[in-house]
Amino acid sequence: MTDGHGQRVLVVDNDRTVLELLKIRLEVAGYHAYVTRTGADALDSLRNVRPAAMILDTNVDGDGFALLHAIRHRYADAHFPILMTGRDLKVDDVRHAQADGAQLCMVKPFSGAEAVERIGRLLQLAHDRPAAATPHAGPTVAHI
Amino acid sequence: MDGADLGDSVLKATIANTLDVLAWEIELAGARSHYLDSIIGRMINLIPEDRRAEFVESMHTVDLLSQQLTSLSAFTRRMSGDVPDVSAYVHAALGHITLGALADRMSAALGGEELGIDHGEGAGDLDLF
Repeated sequence: MTDGHGQRVLVVDNDRTVLELLKIRLEVAGYHAYVTRTGADALDSLRNVRPAAMILDTNVDGDGFALLHAIRHRYADAHFPILMTGRDLKVDDVRHAQADGAQLCMVKPFSGAEAVERIGRLLQLAHDRPAAATPHAGPTVAHI
Repeated sequence: MDGADLGDSVLKATIANTLDVLAWEIELAGARSHYLDSIIGRMINLIPEDRRAEFVESMHTVDLLSQQLTSLSAFTRRMSGDVPDVSAYVHAALGHITLGALADRMSAALGGEELGIDHGEGAGDLDLF
């Protein structure tokens, strides 16, 4: 299962266990994963490296939505898909994430294999239909 | 160091949260095992053909371990959603984890970080890495 073709995936989560397991799972699947625990570090990374996709938790710095908004605002030209994760995500949270440019939401807890599979699907979708990975593309694939 | 000496009343967590944290840790162990499996898989090709069979067997064992851990993680995760809303003191149990990094991560995830508790320092007796 090494079909990530070295594509870069940025993972932002304040939970070190989740970060490490996603890094391992993504790298075994052939992606190049780089991980951060804070919004400041994530923005710093994005200044230097543009990922093919991103996994962002709602709890980063206590408000992952603010970081999502900042990323989409600051890097409006970057159309990489974002998978939003979080505990107890409600329909309003999914709408909020979608409005701010996330393509997919996934409720915690999840398995690492599941997360990798969804990243693969998002990247495939972005490849097949580039417009679907554009922020504000409409209610395409987000679900709980 | 005996975990009970750290003060049992300090860190308390719901059973649901404790199972959830445990599920993530088992999931991480499963991911590490999966990684090991992939390394062995790549190394197999470098081994002379006449000795390959014994390594293939090792690979199956690691693959089985990986699946076992993933299944246990799924079970624990599922259970975390089904337990009644009760809490337990986890401080003493964390003190018995001999791997400092693991104790520290679990303590943080169970609310220890907010209370300024660092189990990585005092947990267990020995870190080999």
